[in-house]
Amino acid sequence: MSAQHGRADSYRVATVIATDDDNRTADGQYKSRRKMPAKVNKKENLDDLKQELDIDFHKISPEELYQRFQTHPENGLSHAKAKENLERDGPNALTPPKQTPEWVKFCKNLFGGFAMLLWIGAILCFVAYSIQASTSEEPADDNLYLGIVLSAVVIVTGIFSYYQESKSSKIMESFKNMVPQFATVIREGEKLTLRAEDLVLGDVVEVKFGDRIPADIRIIEARTFKVDNSSLTGESEPQSRGAEFTHENPLETKNLAFFSTNAVEGTAKGVVISCGDHTVMGRIAGLASGLDTGETPIAKEIHHFIHLITGVAVFLGVTFFVIAFILGYHWLDAVIFLIGIIVANVPEGLLATVTVCLTLTAKRMASKNCLVKNLEAVETLGSTSTICSDKTGTLTQNRMTVAHMWFDNQIIEADTTEDQSGVQYDRTSPGFKALSRIATLCNRAEFKGGQDGVPILKKEVSGDASEAALLKCMELALGDVMNIRKRNKKIAEVPFNSTNKYQVSIHECEDANDPRFLLVMKGAPERILERCSTIFINGKEKVLDEEMKEAFNNAYMELGGLGERVLGFCDFMLPSDKYPSGFKFNTDDINFPIDNLRFVGLMSMIDPPRAAVPDAVAKCRSAGIKVIMVTGDHPITAKAIAKSVGIISEGNETVEDIAQRLNIPISEVNPREAKAAVVHGAELRDVSSDQLDEILRYHTEIVFARTSPQQKLIIVEGCQRMGAIVAVTGDGVNDSPALKKADIGVAMGIAGSDVSKQAADMILLDDNFASIVTGVEEGRLIFDNLKKSIAYTLTSNIPEISPFLAFILCDIPLPLGTVTILCIDLGTDMIPAISLAYEGPEADIMKRRPRNPEIDNLVPAISLAYEHAEADIMKRPPRDPFNDKLVNSRLISMAYGQIGMIQAAAGFFVYFVIMAENGFLPRKLFGIRKMWDSKAVNDLTDSYGQEWTYRDRKTLEYTCHTAFFISIVVVQWADLIICKTRRNSIFQQGMRNWALNFGLIFETVLAAFLSYCPGMEKGLRMYPLKLVWWFPAIPFALAIFIYDETRRFYLRRNPGGWLEQETYY
Amino acid sequence: MSKNNAKGGKGEFEFPQPAKKQTFSQMIYDPQDGTFFGRTGKNWSQLLLFYTIFYIVLAALFTICMQGLLSTVSDTEPKWKLHDSLIGTNPGLGFRPLSEQTERGSVISFDGRKQAESDYWIELIDDFLRDYNHTEGREMKHCGFGQTHDPTDVCVVNTELFGSCSRANNYGYKTNQPCIFLKLNKIYGWVPEVFDEAQKGMPEDLRTVINDTKKEERQQIWVSCNGHLGKDKENFQNIRYFPSQGFPSYYYPFLNQGGYLSPLVAVQFNSPPKGQMLDVECRAWAKNIHYSGSARDRMGSVTFQIIVD
Repeated sequence: MSAQHGRADSYRVATVIATDDDNRTADGQYKSRRKMPAKVNKKENLDDLKQELDIDFHKISPEELYQRFQTHPENGLSHAKAKENLERDGPNALTPPKQTPEWVKFCKNLFGGFAMLLWIGAILCFVAYSIQASTSEEPADDNLYLGIVLSAVVIVTGIFSYYQESKSSKIMESFKNMVPQFATVIREGEKLTLRAEDLVLGDVVEVKFGDRIPADIRIIEARTFKVDNSSLTGESEPQSRGAEFTHENPLETKNLAFFSTNAVEGTAKGVVISCGDHTVMGRIAGLASGLDTGETPIAKEIHHFIHLITGVAVFLGVTFFVIAFILGYHWLDAVIFLIGIIVANVPEGLLATVTVCLTLTAKRMASKNCLVKNLEAVETLGSTSTICSDKTGTLTQNRMTVAHMWFDNQIIEADTTEDQSGVQYDRTSPGFKALSRIATLCNRAEFKGGQDGVPILKKEVSGDASEAALLKCMELALGDVMNIRKRNKKIAEVPFNSTNKYQVSIHECEDANDPRFLLVMKGAPERILERCSTIFINGKEKVLDEEMKEAFNNAYMELGGLGERVLGFCDFMLPSDKYPSGFKFNTDDINFPIDNLRFVGLMSMIDPPRAAVPDAVAKCRSAGIKVIMVTGDHPITAKAIAKSVGIISEGNETVEDIAQRLNIPISEVNPREAKAAVVHGAELRDVSSDQLDEILRYHTEIVFARTSPQQKLIIVEGCQRMGAIVAVTGDGVNDSPALKKADIGVAMGIAGSDVSKQAADMILLDDNFASIVTGVEEGRLIFDNLKKSIAYTLTSNIPEISPFLAFILCDIPLPLGTVTILCIDLGTDMIPAISLAYEGPEADIMKRRPRNPEIDNLVPAISLAYEHAEADIMKRPPRDPFNDKLVNSRLISMAYGQIGMIQAAAGFFVYFVIMAENGFLPRKLFGIRKMWDSKAVNDLTDSYGQEWTYRDRKTLEYTCHTAFFISIVVVQWADLIICKTRRNSIFQQGMRNWALNFGLIFETVLAAFLSYCPGMEKGLRMYPLKLVWWFPAIPFALAIFIYDETRRFYLRRNPGGWLEQETYY
Repeated sequence: MSKNNAKGGKGEFEFPQPAKKQTFSQMIYDPQDGTFFGRTGKNWSQLLLFYTIFYIVLAALFTICMQGLLSTVSDTEPKWKLHDSLIGTNPGLGFRPLSEQTERGSVISFDGRKQAESDYWIELIDDFLRDYNHTEGREMKHCGFGQTHDPTDVCVVNTELFGSCSRANNYGYKTNQPCIFLKLNKIYGWVPEVFDEAQKGMPEDLRTVINDTKKEERQQIWVSCNGHLGKDKENFQNIRYFPSQGFPSYYYPFLNQGGYLSPLVAVQFNSPPKGQMLDVECRAWAKNIHYSGSARDRMGSVTFQIIVD
């Protein structure tokens, strides 16, 4: 790593760098050193963007410009020309990224996932039916019926997921259209207000502060015009812009302003030189949309799961198709078995359930200010192992605030919190009074009108950010600033300029008896100090000796080291004999003293971190998420903020810190010893990808400063190369390639540019990093809950498949029909499975009273409550995307091998009960299938010699189907309750999930309805059951509950034990 | 935070890495880890043991439940009877001969001149009637109209009264005059409520038969065979019923008596059309037998097809 940059340059670099680019710098000697690397760096960073940016509009003379566009600086374009241009170039708007056509999306939903398998089932049904129809006179229309039902299922679920998908993309559209942009244009000498989209090349536009630049413009006239290019370059400081050509590089030259950047000060007039996609912004947006994003982690998981289930279905289907042939079944029967096995194997409702679960979480997150654009992104934050966060606006408030003051030779902390709950200070000391007077009077910032109800800190201010900070600070400390200014009428003023680096104003004294004038000055601390001969300490004016200068220097160093922008303040009472009242002050040819003034103090400002951020970062840390700061800002400021929010935690040193502490050259420090690192963008560009990997691997706490869009992309790729799932937050257009590349891009809802919002998967409506923690929490929760939901749904697959297998292998009458299977998958199982999405996280009961072995041995039942349980959802490391699958072999083993088997036993038991009680004892059933299903046999004998007509025994069979179905519902009660927790006991978790409790009741009521509603025997072949036939499944439901409680008890007892390895899903 | 640092150890930050790709042979047996299909022998046996115990316990539970079930049902009478049972109170009709090859359905096709074809059906009827012919050692009673008998008594079904539908006559199959044996389905405890007067809706021939029967012998569940859905009326002019056109009510109720034999009615089709399918529907008549002729919801009747070449 190069030693030349960053901290090595001493604190002063920071203070200097942190000031405006319009050279409001105090310290001339550092200027060149600062500017050089910054410029070289930037040039390099924007290289790729620049290459395409081969324009000369900024170089040519204005006359040539007007000629080229056939426009006129005063009259603008003619309407005809404007119309022509508009027709030629299209509207001035960014083309939205290529959307998949709606019908393709629809087809994906219609044929993706399990749909293909079900289509095959449906087609087989139709084939079987048409063959039956052509060979027999009275074809059973079962197959036709089933085929129609299957097709309906596929189409309905397809439409449903399509609807959900389009709904979430509509959220984005509404977002986009919220603020229509307008522009003031001169055409044919007339000022018009047009929609920004209607601008064309050559239009003459007027821009004033507060506007967004409507297109790339060449400035032809400007008055104190400044633009905020932060969304384009990441530079947080406003840049001044004017008519003069200053730089070859279009991004550097002063006479260009770019589309979608903001004008923050002054007014300007310019000619539109490029529109829409051809603007600089449009190019970066194009770069972003050109990146492919890959699948979201949850999509990968779902595909993995679909492959697994499809594999099982095809394997079982084909196996039994072959077995059926070997057993001598007619091939048509074998086809029908195949259909049954497919239908039983595919959890038809599951994908819809997953969609609903994700939608519910998305809604919940939206209410917590996380707007999710892409449903699948809901979970991605939960899997995230690295967050690359932008600084400005995300971690910080994006609002300069006075942080410290130095007067009476002491540093006093100002309150920077959002709610002003912080420290207070003595506001009566003469030192503060003097300082505040200067800060109030030597200040051109004013509150904008019409903000009466708004808290002071949130009020909008016209003027420079530092002055706004001072204004707010003073308004808070003194009250009505405007009134104070009125009482101290301003007589003369020398505004800030880059040569003086100070600002002076002269005021009448508040005290009517005092005829003297007050001179107040503020500016770069060194420059101010130079102009002073005395210093005001503890109410006394003292000579500014070396000792005081040392004290000043220490204070300045300390504040600078905090990454704060420091201003010096001094004043002077002009003697009334020389400057009597009515004296004409000349600000051009200065006729008043600006030397030998009285130094009063320092004030330093910073864009302070948001209140909730340090806590949020700590939470991310404890959740095992690495937080990296990637910012366009300067290293010292970045490091200071990183330290204050905990991205660099206390006690962790960078290589430079170690070098400084040990007083050795940086090259002698072993980089592995430093956990923290601050990497400058300039260093980064010389770094190979291996070296970048090394930085990412060996430092836990990293800050990247002065980074370009390209480098942000490289950092994200580096993290992904190491196996991390990366979240990127950002608000600027320059962030959008990284947002797009990240596994989940998080854009800012308030400050974010449209392009960044488009590239992102999620939008933080309150721009607050802390909302990400909510996202992580919800994402992890939904992943856990989806596991539970899938475990619940898959379990009933076994009691659905096993009847078919028994039917084929044991020749018994079919215990469960395909229609009843669909009733389970799409009816009774749906609501309970969805309700698991509402399940709360498993509590961290490690916080409870520790276990007391003696008592526990005596009362084992009570001790259950004190077992070590699953750690808090935010205390465990992020999901390992390679091993911790949504559906893993343990989940399958639990659902299929254990719980499912108990459920199947329950179903078969009920089946045998009904058969036996009606006359067919179990023994009789084996081998009876052929006779049973033959229409010709109208007198099938049961165990008691009774003879059953075809109609009666089919009634019996369908009653068995219904009873099997009901028994699945009964055992699914128990399954639902055990699926609530993966490790904790239900007694710890409780039954407070009311959605789930409702689900229990709902599935029961639905089952009863399907069984007892008149007409169901015709429609679904469901018959009313005797009440007693509900009960045989209950012992099995209890068995499920007891088995799983016991299993989880041992799981908690032996963490990491065999049972956990084999059954903890 | 401490967790994170602890994990780092040397200040590293490791992310999970994808598992290394395995070859197919490694998947089956990996000599390095000693794993078969991803598990070591010990691991497999542990898993096997776990599942063995699990399924033994589950099987035990199932067995206990089944034992509980079997202890509540009797060997001699069904738990649910008549209305309570799904078999209901509406007996259907059965017919013989019925091929065991279920895919042949209810079609009886043969050519009396071809030995094998007619013998196939004759043998089926022989098998069916074996129980009726070999009643040696059974306690049976010759029941008759007007006699009273114990409900547990078993009444004799006399196979000698089948007239031209006798074994000696090869049940008419050699002469292309096939006999079909009809029987009423047994339902435990079901007692017929017979029509002792000819009813409206009965076919003309049945009404004649009822009117010609002595009053005390009218205690029968009447039977009539006709063209299915009223077709082929002309082919049903020449059919005869043995021993009578009904099942005498003294055979009921069926109470799963040992050696109980269902009464039979043999229907002989004396002039079936040649080479043409005769679609027959036979129907039982009693006050408590409801009839439905629809294919989906057939009650109180049976259909079969005869093809004589």
